[in-house]
Amino acid sequence: MKKRWKRVLIALPVVLVIGAGAYAWLNRTDPADGKAPSLAGAPPSSDPVARGEYLTRAADCIACHVTPGGKPFAGGLAFKLPFGTIYSSNITPDPDTGIGRYTDEEFVRAVREGIRRDGKHLYPAFPYTSYTELSRADVLAIKAYLFTLPKVRQPNRENDIGFPFNQRWAMGFWNAAFFRSHRFEPDANRSEAWNRGAYLAGALAHCGECHTPRNIGFAMSKGSLLAGETVNGWRAWNITSDATHGIGAWPDAAVAQYLSTGHADGRGTAGGPMGEAVDHSLQYLDAADISALVTWLRTVPAKEGKDPVVVDAGAPGLRASNELLPGSDPSASDMGRQLFAGACASCHQWNGPGRQTPQAGLAGTRGVNDPSGANVVGIILEGVSMRVRDQDIYMPAFAQTFNDAEVAALANYVVHHFGGKAGTVTPAEVAKRRAE
Amino acid sequence: MTVLRINGEDHDVDVPPDMPLLWVLRDVIGLTGTKFGCGIAQCGACTVHLAGKPVRSCQLPVSVIGGNEITTIEAIGGTPEGKRVQEAWLALDVVQCGYCQSGQIMSAAALLAQTPQPTDADIDAAMSGNICRCATYVRIREGIHQAASGRPLGLQVIVDGERP
Repeated sequence: MKKRWKRVLIALPVVLVIGAGAYAWLNRTDPADGKAPSLAGAPPSSDPVARGEYLTRAADCIACHVTPGGKPFAGGLAFKLPFGTIYSSNITPDPDTGIGRYTDEEFVRAVREGIRRDGKHLYPAFPYTSYTELSRADVLAIKAYLFTLPKVRQPNRENDIGFPFNQRWAMGFWNAAFFRSHRFEPDANRSEAWNRGAYLAGALAHCGECHTPRNIGFAMSKGSLLAGETVNGWRAWNITSDATHGIGAWPDAAVAQYLSTGHADGRGTAGGPMGEAVDHSLQYLDAADISALVTWLRTVPAKEGKDPVVVDAGAPGLRASNELLPGSDPSASDMGRQLFAGACASCHQWNGPGRQTPQAGLAGTRGVNDPSGANVVGIILEGVSMRVRDQDIYMPAFAQTFNDAEVAALANYVVHHFGGKAGTVTPAEVAKRRAE
Repeated sequence: MTVLRINGEDHDVDVPPDMPLLWVLRDVIGLTGTKFGCGIAQCGACTVHLAGKPVRSCQLPVSVIGGNEITTIEAIGGTPEGKRVQEAWLALDVVQCGYCQSGQIMSAAALLAQTPQPTDADIDAAMSGNICRCATYVRIREGIHQAASGRPLGLQVIVDGERP
């Protein structure tokens, strides 16, 4: 008995030392400054503040660091996560409530390592998991731009999460398991445009944070890059090069059109979170940078992804109808069809080309071909309001107009008529979406 | 300068590209027959034809029109369907307050051009985006049937003692 205790007493420090060593090793900071490919919209020679503005847009910082109607970059946006709600922070240069006291070193560490000025861990809702690839020069250009913004005095809101998730130190273990500090490594075997696209998508635009499936630890699953995930009820589609389930069959011009305007004719219109990404960020990227993004996207390994969607551009409902009339379809739900006639047909039209603008086109989109109806429900509830290149793109929100059963019937009708599939939306799901 | 072809005439207008066509029609050119209703393409009052198709002019930026021919309520009587719709509208006294009726007539004419003999269901489906605060829907439906068939309907039938 005594001997056994002795063994434990010897083993314990050894285990602790090994554990601490492993923790330190897995949490090590990549000491490299990192070298970023030169972006067409922000050449290294240009003014650092102008460069920072472009990079801040490309990284879409504003998407999270503002509330609807709030002051830009003053934070406060709620992230409802399975374990509680956390709020984005004030990144205006206000010294007391913003980032005004951050030194260069502290700012770089926060952005690339997820550790804020007081040494505490940030939650990976802030995508340091992607920004870790940024070059030091680019991070400091972003800082230079942010420090030119008006100081907004707005204290950060306390997170509302319970034990143990409110223990920020515990994120060190999450980082040890799922995060590796590293800089972007150009691939010498690929073209300059490909490398630029990889840096734009991975380090800046952080596409994978929504489009890459999450693993059991809620981290991006490296093996299925951009294969599609569901975020707050919205489906971030599979955008791998898979011709059937991804965007492999889209011509380059269609992908570029989608990224820079939020719409690709006959293929889809960005709404929900992707609409915001276009609205705040992608539409401002230089055409050559968009083209680089497309070059890189083309090479993302094809994956089928979870709940794959197959687009049927010739669904029976589409073939039977014309702009003004639905055609006869005895299998359609009466409630769904009546709702569509009253609220939707006058803009979208029965055969789905979109009456006013091509953005209202429904035919051939993935949303209407997804039996789960996730994005159709989202758009019906929230509508669309974005401004792209001097054009307002608007659809009213119907959350207050229709009850849960009506939204479900309408969404299932849209999936049936435009996608030729049996929609599975239930009123209970609609109620859940309203709460998100 | 943008050149818009409206009711068979070219109009040179100096307007921002994102100005909706309705503003150009009413405030710049002075064609006030087309009405402003909701401003968000939900009521149909501002309907005009673009290349023969009904569109909501309040949500149609001039930049997307290009060289396409625009027809408004002022000239719809010059098309065979528009003429028949207007005649039926008068014969049936479809109009009550009248505010929505420019849009109703434009949508009805477009429906008849595409579907010469529409059923009740066709009319409901095609006209559902045009809202009437006075609820003249029953007479609108009759007006479209009368314009399609040429036979008098509604109150005229009772006065004439003739069955349709």
